[in-house]
Amino acid sequence: MATATGVYNTTYRRDFALRHTKAEYARLALLLVVAVVLPFRLDHYWLGYLDLILLSSIAAVGLMILTGYTGLISLATAGFLGVGAYTTANITTRLHWPMPIGVLGGTLMAAALGAVFGLPALRVKGLYLAISTFAAQAIFNNRFRDWRWLTNGQFSVSANTPKIGSHALNSDFRWYWVLVVITALVVWGGVNLFRTGLGRALIAIRDQDIAAEVIGVDVGRYKVMAFAIACGLAGFAGALQAHYRNIVTWERYDFDTSFLLIAMIIVGGLGSISGAVYGAAFMTWVPAYITRIGQGIQARSSGGTPLIIEKLPAIQLGLFGVVIVVFLLFEPRGLARLWQRTKDYFRIWPFRY
Amino acid sequence: MSRFILLTVNGLANGAILSLAALGFVLIYKATEVINFAQGQFLVIGAFVVYNANVTWGLPWPVAMLVGIGAGILLGIVVERLILRRLVGESNLAVIMVTIALDAALFGMVLFTWGAEPKPAPKFVPHGSVHLFGDVAVAADRLWAVAVAVVVFVGVALFFQRSRHGVAMRAVADDQQAAMVQGISVNRVFAFAWALAGAAGAVGGVLLASVNGGTSLDLESFAILVFPVVILGGLDSVLGTVVGGVIIGLLVEYTKSYMNVNASQMLPFVVLVAILIVKPYGLFGQVRIERV
Amino acid sequence: MKRSARYLALALSLSLVVAAGCGNNNKKSNNASNTGSSAPTKSDLKVGAIFDLSGATADVGTPYSEGIRDYVDWKNASGGVAGHKIAMSYQDYGYKVPQAEQLYSQYVSQGVKVFMGWGTGDTEALKPKVNADKIPFMSASYAETLADPKVTPYNFFPGASYSQQMRIALQWISDKNPGKHVEVAVFHNDSPFGTSPLDDGKKYIADHKLNLGFKNYPMPAGATDFVAQIGQAKAQGAKYIIVQNVASPAAKLAQNLKSQNSDMQLMCLNWCADELFVKLAGPAAEGMIGVVPFAPPVAGTSGLDDINGFLKAKNTDATTKGLHYVQGWYTMATMMQGVENAYKANGDNPTGEQIKAGLEQIKDFKTPVSGPVTFTAEWHAGLLSAPMYQVSSGAFKKLSDPITVPGPGNPNATVSGISSGSSSGSSTTTSK
Repeated sequence: MATATGVYNTTYRRDFALRHTKAEYARLALLLVVAVVLPFRLDHYWLGYLDLILLSSIAAVGLMILTGYTGLISLATAGFLGVGAYTTANITTRLHWPMPIGVLGGTLMAAALGAVFGLPALRVKGLYLAISTFAAQAIFNNRFRDWRWLTNGQFSVSANTPKIGSHALNSDFRWYWVLVVITALVVWGGVNLFRTGLGRALIAIRDQDIAAEVIGVDVGRYKVMAFAIACGLAGFAGALQAHYRNIVTWERYDFDTSFLLIAMIIVGGLGSISGAVYGAAFMTWVPAYITRIGQGIQARSSGGTPLIIEKLPAIQLGLFGVVIVVFLLFEPRGLARLWQRTKDYFRIWPFRY
Repeated sequence: MSRFILLTVNGLANGAILSLAALGFVLIYKATEVINFAQGQFLVIGAFVVYNANVTWGLPWPVAMLVGIGAGILLGIVVERLILRRLVGESNLAVIMVTIALDAALFGMVLFTWGAEPKPAPKFVPHGSVHLFGDVAVAADRLWAVAVAVVVFVGVALFFQRSRHGVAMRAVADDQQAAMVQGISVNRVFAFAWALAGAAGAVGGVLLASVNGGTSLDLESFAILVFPVVILGGLDSVLGTVVGGVIIGLLVEYTKSYMNVNASQMLPFVVLVAILIVKPYGLFGQVRIERV
Repeated sequence: MKRSARYLALALSLSLVVAAGCGNNNKKSNNASNTGSSAPTKSDLKVGAIFDLSGATADVGTPYSEGIRDYVDWKNASGGVAGHKIAMSYQDYGYKVPQAEQLYSQYVSQGVKVFMGWGTGDTEALKPKVNADKIPFMSASYAETLADPKVTPYNFFPGASYSQQMRIALQWISDKNPGKHVEVAVFHNDSPFGTSPLDDGKKYIADHKLNLGFKNYPMPAGATDFVAQIGQAKAQGAKYIIVQNVASPAAKLAQNLKSQNSDMQLMCLNWCADELFVKLAGPAAEGMIGVVPFAPPVAGTSGLDDINGFLKAKNTDATTKGLHYVQGWYTMATMMQGVENAYKANGDNPTGEQIKAGLEQIKDFKTPVSGPVTFTAEWHAGLLSAPMYQVSSGAFKKLSDPITVPGPGNPNATVSGISSGSSSGSSTTTSK
């Protein structure tokens, strides 16, 4: 638990190091051990959820960069997930190019479209920008549903199962290893981003964009770049998910998914990359737990109370909303802040502050 | 030509309902600068409560309407007191998230109480068709919707101009600190704004249910169109809501008929983006000038 | 409340949630066997099912789910399937594809042998997994793409495909208007479910040189009315409107047609030709003609004794419960027949492939509300014909015997069953 108890850095390198004490490195090693052991202990169903969490984390990190660090609210992330997915599906199924090209194509296409849809950010701010992204999501929705060229006239496009060497990625277990490495790289990249000038420029834009402009940060260019990065990551996650699920349908890229991603970064804690991961885990697991609780109740009351069975979906939906509202009332700054408080408690103990 | 007239009347009616739905939205934003994503549920709850009062409890329709409006007011005040009050000072995004989560929670509540099976439309709304100009047959409930919306908006406008509470709300919307200095209770005004939004939602919901031909959960998907309306009109302008609602309502009907349905679904959002680029604060919104 | 108390409360509630979830993790084997097995020798038959009880098609999904659940209770009360009690795990998925996928994964990991699905979109999305897992899957989606074993070897459905229903409707219109060119407007749900029969309908007109015009109009979700589309259909000169949608939007359409004093004849395919439509549309439902592979269980239909006997204890009957209830009941019955065939041929633990073979053996499975259901190794849609019923004075009356038309499942069939004589007229606007 021991974080640095003070700030004492004698070189620039130590100043922006990611970890400062041996104990922190030990914690990191522990995390590594857990990450390696976990898939062997979980059953097939929870492993599937874990893979889903990893995929969501990639998109959530992107959104965190955009919304948490640059202050630009985007409600269109699901649309960009879809762009990545449809692009890779079309590239691999219709052009028959290999999967890595498909995923790369998906990422680039999403980044390009992200830059385009980020242009309103040059004109409007805050809630107005949020609403413009809402409109972008509606437009994406409409195109995914009705543009038959995209799906070659069918209801859905399939994406193939990728192979690494001679191993086909056809189980949750195998996907886990690929995803955990990719997610780790993305998280690390995200954290590193904010040690660079680009990252600092983005934070400056969030905090005081006019002042940033005054000191020479090209606000317009960086805003569009933030959109491109975030949407590119979302496209990357969407492309991976397409190959994970082997089929791309438009229902996955709806408003609900966009709201879920926003919920992830808010519940995780705005302004912290690890918050994106915490939020992704929380928002994926809470509905699953609620479903399990519901099924448990259903199993125990079978034949007894049909009322409960009828009302169960309502309770689950309602409960989900209530959990988030209550959580945000208690800790509006999210899980990352909760974790920070826990660490601080131990750091300062036995003092109170 | 008769087709055009029919579309115009329908567009006006839909626009009127949209404006009512958007009114609650704008009221809340004007007073508290919060975007209420749960406004759609206010509509749905209003419609269901009126149905319950009218059909299940057998109350006569004026009483049922009052019960519905009362429920809307209560809902608004409860939400404001219990939830929004705690989030004063938190980031915009946290508040948006809470309203989104609230939307889900309210949806669950509606589903729990009334179930998923759609209920019939309010019977007290005039049915049948009215013949205008000979061969144009317009549904009577649409004309009724326009009439009710006009009454409500005139009432709201008078309220803001003449009544003390209305003027107090405008003062708070203009400058909170100055209003507090004048002795206006900002907390009261916030509660008032939410209560009004709940009431407007209830009326809008009933109108929507009657036009929709049924009271059901998918009334909510109509509420998405509220966004283009408020952006077009201006997030903090009541007049803008009316104008925006009418324009969007008409636009959707015309494109639906003269082009195709898909275009009509995309068009309001394309308009939204266009307005944001050309005139970000909408037709009647207050232009924010940033001072560093 | 003091700060620390607040945090304590938050921590407690979070850990409760975690504990509940972990607790259920261990109890997951209990979920599957919720109907206690009293025959100690035979293992339970695990079945997974998803229903739409709260989403876009919940109006018809709810009675369908009741039909399936009640069938399970009824069958278990008489000893189960070949002595195995049915243990069904089910959940509402709100017509949302990601939910459907998660529930499917969950139930498969719990060892279900067969799966009862629902919607077109989610059945499509689950196709690759179903094929890989070899789980026989019976959906309520009658999209014709799911009937071809070459594409989806494990998907079955007991009704006539939407495309087949569309062909029947088109053929009927053509035969009722010999020698005339007739325009047909097709209003459909804005989803894969709605667009499923469109291309096949157009192809049928072209292949059989029917003198029909065909134009489709999507009915978007959340629309308050369809007046604009009706205007377009009028401009097209359409005499008939075929609707591929569920009951609520179809009822809205009927009301709009009535208020427009339109004389276009309304025809519904199976998901909107039901009692809910009649209830919601009120007087505007009069005259609607429905293509109903599963006919409404009107009073006096023979063969409903099993259902009526079961429902007597609940003080209701099949006619009250309605079409989709009976449809659900017999869908489950068909699936269980397939499993029974597999039990008889392969013993107590048949594989997915063996159950699939068991289903393909089903020939002329009788139900009181439809023609005999038959599956073959070449075609997984259970019916190739459907009768037509018409709404008259608020109730369904039979308009024709089952009509058969040639389709991919029966390419050599000839048109049969369409009675001669004029149709029963258009939807007249009687006084209220």
